[in-house]
This record gives sequence, structure tokens and C-alpha cells, in this order.
Amino acid sequence: MEKYVHPFIDACEDVFRKFVGTELFAERPFFSHRDDVYTWDISSVINFTGEAKGAVVISMKKDLAAKITAALTGNFHEEVNEETVDAIGEIINIIAGNAKKGLEDAFRLKISLPTIIQGTDYSISWPSDKTRVISIPFKIYDKESFCLSVAIESTGAKEDA
Amino acid sequence: MKNILVVDDSRIMRNVIMNTFLTLKMPCNFVEASNGKEALYQLQKISIDMVLLDWNMPQLSGIDFLKQIRAIPRYQALPVIMITSEAAKYNVIEALKSGATDYIIKPVDETKFKEKVKKIFG
Repeated sequence: MEKYVHPFIDACEDVFRKFVGTELFAERPFFSHRDDVYTWDISSVINFTGEAKGAVVISMKKDLAAKITAALTGNFHEEVNEETVDAIGEIINIIAGNAKKGLEDAFRLKISLPTIIQGTDYSISWPSDKTRVISIPFKIYDKESFCLSVAIESTGAKEDA
Repeated sequence: MKNILVVDDSRIMRNVIMNTFLTLKMPCNFVEASNGKEALYQLQKISIDMVLLDWNMPQLSGIDFLKQIRAIPRYQALPVIMITSEAAKYNVIEALKSGATDYIIKPVDETKFKEKVKKIFG
């Protein structure tokens, strides 16, 4: 499982550098509990199906989501709105799609459309019951942070090339 | 004046693509669609010179839109550049086999984007 996490870290750093225009600092990854309650304000989830199943989730506070949205659009919104949802959804979409390249020797995957979860005290319904969830905290804009969580495991299925 | 159909479910990404296209300083008119179904409607309504097409979208995906239009004789030569986060080789191969003229992986690199559009329009 751990070896599958690196493509997500690489994709996340690359997306923030090239799309958002800022560098990230990845901190030490850790195992999360599947039923952890999220205290972030917004999360965006993409599910994987195909030769593996799992999900990747980006979570952050709304202030950071607003700054990232402003970096992409020039518009600053204090509250989460349609543009914030679009920005965070597109970022997780690009991370998931780019991470597939680093995983292509292991398995062929399909990615879902992003789903947005807003509010506090929510939990993520991970697709696989047994897979461990790895969370990677990232530092951004000096003192702020967000979290990327990944759970992915082979289904044993092989799809036609 | 070229009519460029920009198909992406993200408005932010449509703006990024249109702004990147504008750096070519080519006279153009943008037509926007947020999924393949809307894109089919726009294609029937307006004479389009190029489609810039995302892959993952609701209602009708970019790859299914591409397969549908390539089955219609008058759209077989229409330039379609896929602009998508789908970076795996098997995705690129599927898109090219399905009739994509070219393929760009998000985040969009402005230099590569301009090269690929210029290659098509000359």
C-alpha cells in the first residue's frame, strides 16, 4: 500500500506548482483510522475502480480553500461557494489523473468525478473495508496546511489492454 | 475567425484554456460546453473549427463524445485535442485510437499547448 502513495505526493506537488503556482512541503505520512472524524471545512473525494479500488481525498480549512481559489481565479470568497467547489474539485481531479501515470505499471484504474463534502465533523466512507488509509500533511503558504489521504488496493482483476 | 469549442465541466479550467489560447493571438470565437452532451448540441448548432475536450465529465464523457462524433462522416476530420488529467499511457492510447487529433495532460503547459494548436492550424 505504502508504495502506491508516492505517485500521489508527486502529483500533488506538481499540480500545486504548475496549476496553483505555489510550492508545497510534504510532511511525514501517517496511517489514519478509517472512521476518523474530519475537522476540516471542505474535502473533495475521487474514487478509483478497475484493477484496484480506493479513493483519494484532499481536505482543508475554508480560508485556505479561498486563497487557492483566488490564486486560480483572482476572486476571493470568504465562504465556500460554487467557484471554491470548482477549484478544489479540479485540483483533486488533476492529482488523481496524474497519479494514475505513476501507478500504470501496477494497475489500470478509472477515476470518478470529484465529490465535495462541506462542514465540520464528517467522516469519509472509504470504498475498501480492509485497506489502510495513509494521510500526507502538506505545508503551504508558509504556515498553512492541508491533508491528502489515500487508500488504494488491488482487486486482483485484470482489464484488457 | 476560428470557432473553438471548449468542453470541460470546470469553469475555472475552461477559463485557463481560453486564456492560454488567447496567447496565440489568433482571431477566434469561443463556444463553451460543460459536458459531452452540451458539446454535441453546440456542434450541431455552430460550425466549429476545433474542439478542446476534457475526459471526465458528467452526462457524457469526453471519450464517449469523441467516439460518437468520429462515427459521423462530417466530423471525422474535425481537430479534437483532448485536455485532461488522465495521464496514464493507456488513456492516451485509448484517446488516440478513438480519434483524438492530439492529447494534452493537465496542468496545461502553455508552450506545449501553443505548439499543438499551431501544428493543426499552421
